[in-house]
Amino acid sequence: MRIEQHPILTFPAGKMVKFTFDGKELYGKEGEPIVAALHANGIKVIGHSHNKHRPRGLYCAIGNCSSCLATVNGEPNVRTCITPLCEGMVVTMQNGKGVIK
Amino acid sequence: MIQKDGIATQEMIDSITPSAERRSKGPVAVVECFQSIPCNPCYTSCPRKAMKELIDINDMPQVNTDICNGCGVCISHCPGLAIFVIDETYGDNQCLIKMPYEFTPLPSEGDYVTATDRGGKPVCRGKVVKVVNTPMQDRTPIIHLVVPKEFSMIVRSLNINDIYDDNTYICRCEELTLGELREYIRKGYTTLDEIKRITRAGMGPCQGRTCRQLIMNEIAKLTGVKPQDQLMSTFRPPVKPVKLGFYAQEDTDNE
Repeated sequence: MRIEQHPILTFPAGKMVKFTFDGKELYGKEGEPIVAALHANGIKVIGHSHNKHRPRGLYCAIGNCSSCLATVNGEPNVRTCITPLCEGMVVTMQNGKGVIK
Repeated sequence: MIQKDGIATQEMIDSITPSAERRSKGPVAVVECFQSIPCNPCYTSCPRKAMKELIDINDMPQVNTDICNGCGVCISHCPGLAIFVIDETYGDNQCLIKMPYEFTPLPSEGDYVTATDRGGKPVCRGKVVKVVNTPMQDRTPIIHLVVPKEFSMIVRSLNINDIYDDNTYICRCEELTLGELREYIRKGYTTLDEIKRITRAGMGPCQGRTCRQLIMNEIAKLTGVKPQDQLMSTFRPPVKPVKLGFYAQEDTDNE
């Protein structure tokens, strides 16, 4: 699901890069927010809250609410809505507060 | 079964629903009276004589929808609270429902409430735009409720509590619900800081960006202290999440 045509915004054609989410190989546009690439692949739940373990995903989409935290390349608590996607990124679902290795 | 639970069946409702064409023209009365009882105030109260004459007082009322202009005089005259006025021309995809409401407390104009169906089940969120309660209504106040158009023949009552209610999450990070928040405010935790310390709301990953204003508004609602007069909590840096490594890096650079 991607917006291809928009009356005001333009979407430059980006290079498609490979990344993984929980071991699954996916493709997304290079430089787009990680969570946008996940949404385009139909993945909306990227974590669970630390208290009641309710599903978490995109909420404010501007780096404010920390609802879209996930573990990226082993680093927990990455705000995926403002972090650009790169080739070969390893994204994993974060349940709760995340573990720093 | 209407004899058992007092709730009209879909068949009965269909038989008295004004035509879609008539509904698209403006307000019209819907008389949901399904029992032959000796009663006629709807007929006698109508200033336009839109109610078909009741030859036998036991006859069931019938509205001539061509004459009815939805003035709503009959609403408070019906002892059975069976008359409603629906106006599907109220706004884009909105419908105004004028309904009798004999409960206390009355909602106030501007309130958001839970619109319910004939059986009292929640249907959607409704906005009260007017409360008519003059001596003319003779203690049967009329509530003007705005709901989405598709519910014009479904919503028939209201519950004054907003449908976005006790189970709504106020703080997404620490998962504090509106019901819990209200309980704490009633217990006497009436400042943002007190709420923060007892519930952790505002101390999670978003640092209060989502809940701060909501909590202050709720405190204002229950205590009457306006948000601008309430004590703010202290803002401390960093404003945005920063990695600890960032500070460590700075330190080594300065050496």
